[in-house]
Amino acid sequence: MFLALADVFAFISRFFRELFLPPYEFKEIIRQCYEVGFRSLLLISTTGFITGMVFTNQSRPSLSEFGATSWLPSLISIAIVRALGPLVTALIAAGKVGSSIGAEIGSMNVTEQIDAMEVSGTNPFKFLVVSRVLATSITVPILTMYTIFVALIGAFLNVSMNEQTSFTSYIQEVFGAISYVDIFASLLKSIVFGFTIGIVGCYKGYNSSKGTEGVGKAANAAVVTSMFLVFIEEMLSLQIVQSFR
Amino acid sequence: MSKTSKTGEESVISIRNLRKSFGDLHVLQGIDLEVKQGENVAVLGRSGTGKSVLIKIVVGLLKPDSGSVIVLGQDVERLTAKEMDAFRQKVGFSFQSSALYDSMSIRENLEFPLVRNIRNLSRADINKAVEKALDDVGLSQTINQMPSELSGGQRKRIGIARTLILNPEIMLYDEPTSGLDPITSIEINNLINEVRERINATSIIITHDLTCAKTTGDRVAMLLDGKFERIGPFDEVFADPDERVRQFYNYNFIN
Amino acid sequence: MSTDSTKRNVTVGVFVLLGIIIFVAGIFVLGGQQKRFTKSIKIIAVFSDVGGLKAGNNVWFSGVKIGTVKRISFYGAAQVEVDMNIEQSSQQFIRKDANATISSDGLIGNKIVVITGGTTSHPEVEDGDRLKTVAALSSDQILETLQENNNNLLRVTKDFKELVGNLRKGKGTVGAVLTDSVVADNFKRAMRNLERASDNTVNLTGSVSKFASRLNTPGSLANQLVTDTTVFRSLKRSATRFESAMTSADQSINTLSRTAENVNRASEKLNNTNSPLGVLLTDKETAQSLKSTLKNLNTSTVLLNEDLKAAQNNFLLRGFFKKKAKAEEKQRADSLKAVQQQMADSTANKP
Repeated sequence: MFLALADVFAFISRFFRELFLPPYEFKEIIRQCYEVGFRSLLLISTTGFITGMVFTNQSRPSLSEFGATSWLPSLISIAIVRALGPLVTALIAAGKVGSSIGAEIGSMNVTEQIDAMEVSGTNPFKFLVVSRVLATSITVPILTMYTIFVALIGAFLNVSMNEQTSFTSYIQEVFGAISYVDIFASLLKSIVFGFTIGIVGCYKGYNSSKGTEGVGKAANAAVVTSMFLVFIEEMLSLQIVQSFR
Repeated sequence: MSKTSKTGEESVISIRNLRKSFGDLHVLQGIDLEVKQGENVAVLGRSGTGKSVLIKIVVGLLKPDSGSVIVLGQDVERLTAKEMDAFRQKVGFSFQSSALYDSMSIRENLEFPLVRNIRNLSRADINKAVEKALDDVGLSQTINQMPSELSGGQRKRIGIARTLILNPEIMLYDEPTSGLDPITSIEINNLINEVRERINATSIIITHDLTCAKTTGDRVAMLLDGKFERIGPFDEVFADPDERVRQFYNYNFIN
Repeated sequence: MSTDSTKRNVTVGVFVLLGIIIFVAGIFVLGGQQKRFTKSIKIIAVFSDVGGLKAGNNVWFSGVKIGTVKRISFYGAAQVEVDMNIEQSSQQFIRKDANATISSDGLIGNKIVVITGGTTSHPEVEDGDRLKTVAALSSDQILETLQENNNNLLRVTKDFKELVGNLRKGKGTVGAVLTDSVVADNFKRAMRNLERASDNTVNLTGSVSKFASRLNTPGSLANQLVTDTTVFRSLKRSATRFESAMTSADQSINTLSRTAENVNRASEKLNNTNSPLGVLLTDKETAQSLKSTLKNLNTSTVLLNEDLKAAQNNFLLRGFFKKKAKAEEKQRADSLKAVQQQMADSTANKP
């Protein structure tokens, strides 16, 4: 266990070491951004929209008990910006991107592609790991912004259908409820989430056991571990952000 | 079947008392091997006896537990990362599974080592080199295909072409004919010999295919119980009445 | 291949750019909302209790948001200094003598700073000015008042309970009216009197008709009396008086029937009330109407009695009364006196 932890730590420190050492694989980073970010956009937007809509609908009864449905926008805003947006995005990304990174690198490991890169004088860590982790660290925050945006639109549709709230007053309510701390905390949090998803996927793939079973295990472990870590980080970030608020 | 190339006196690969274990599994238990300039050595052995481990140690992918590995006058174990990169440019490695990069086209696969090891190459130079390497293995038409679209034999040849693109001094083949039909195997064997002639490479060919060993190897080394029990010309080794050697021979050449 | 990668680069570029635009737009909308990017001045207010005010809470003037709380820090021994950013555009409306209060934008809403008052005789506030503060009406205080109200309410309901209890036990006017058997007896007696009065009336009218028939019989005293002009005049007067007495009796009977009706209505109401407050209200009415009813009843009975007395007083009818009401001999003596008096009067009247 501690050995594994030390191993993970070495992996992460290697990432940061190689991150700043040339050569830089810009092309690969962009390719990964495309794969990780753009290809997840539709899925994440849909999920975000549904999240906003459903969450609004489900929150309504408990607020209407107090006759406080006019608070729905601010409640939704806080929930989505602070927690749901980053979390939903991270979970979807962990499922979609984390597993694909784990499986891809795992299968490259199994079929000796990583060895092949190494013997051809290329640093596979830089090419595979650094580019992917960078891509997730960049795109997950961006996807989070999309999710928040789309979720708030979804919530607005629901609110305007049920409470006849105007767009202007909705925006007023939504932005009245949140602060800069919330937005920046969400941004930082989602960067950490993205980093986690990337690094866990790469680590699990990079250290997968040989054989096709290893690939499946790597993909599975990548998803499970990164989702778990995302929740742990969510909890920690709550503590940290609380001290700033 | 032309073993015409001259083998020099200089030892290019020099392995002494090499040991490697994975936990309780003692794979290599004191390997000694000298490979001369331009010489092709075929290493024979049963699966799981550590044949691949040997060449992975030679190229620095694995670290030996003890013993010394001197390749091209350099102690592989003591190379810095930078020296290792330079060293590996001179060593071509053909993987058992071909190890083509699945996410890249054939062109990108071939470019991959080239653009990363030789800086300041023009686009035209790269294209020319790629086309030449493909032509050498007779697969020019596959240039824009993806690895998954190719047959096993084609993948193997592309893999070899990818290593050749850097004009290595040493070629290491890991099971070049495994999983291939006899005719394709013969093609691969011929390719190995062609490569040898063209770039005058020193080679180690890991195989359990005696035809391959006989066709491509100047010498054969028989790996038994973690040691080279027999080293010598093919006929000499298989003249041995040792039961373990005979079994190997009998399976491949039913007589 | 190279066009492919160009397309990809562009896609990634647009993707990242849009994400950043959403982020930046969010920041700016939020900033606009909090007036972070409008020119503002700083004013200070020192409170003894800010009741959970936080940095970022709104500042209101006349119910309009004009700024936000920037910083909250302790000041002096146990006071709290609140720094507020106020939009420059609303600076002109806030005077140096304005007051600042801590309030909230709803019953359970966010805390806000409310700036009130200020007169145009004072100059407008400047950057760094300190406003006077008015102790905030904290929710604790509201709850205290509420508690007091509750106590009062409790006392009121207790009193009411006692009242209702007393009512049931027959204490107090209303209670007495409702429960006292004496009243009922009185009532009964009044009714009995009334009955007797009407009986008397019937008797009287009967006597009158008999008397009238006798009057026509020649040779009888009455006839003689009638033929005598003096007597006739006197008799006429008596008849007139009797007539008026009759009218009076008639009125009395009307009043009586009205009274009876009232009594009826009142008792009906008494029976119908079921809510305590209704009982209280209708009882009051009932009591009043009952009282007036009884009063009316009394007066009408008295009136009737007087009328009857007046009838008896008439000497012409004395004979009938002599025969009819043997029990009223004492009264007769009185009326005899009155008749003699009348006779004296009538003789005196004779020229």
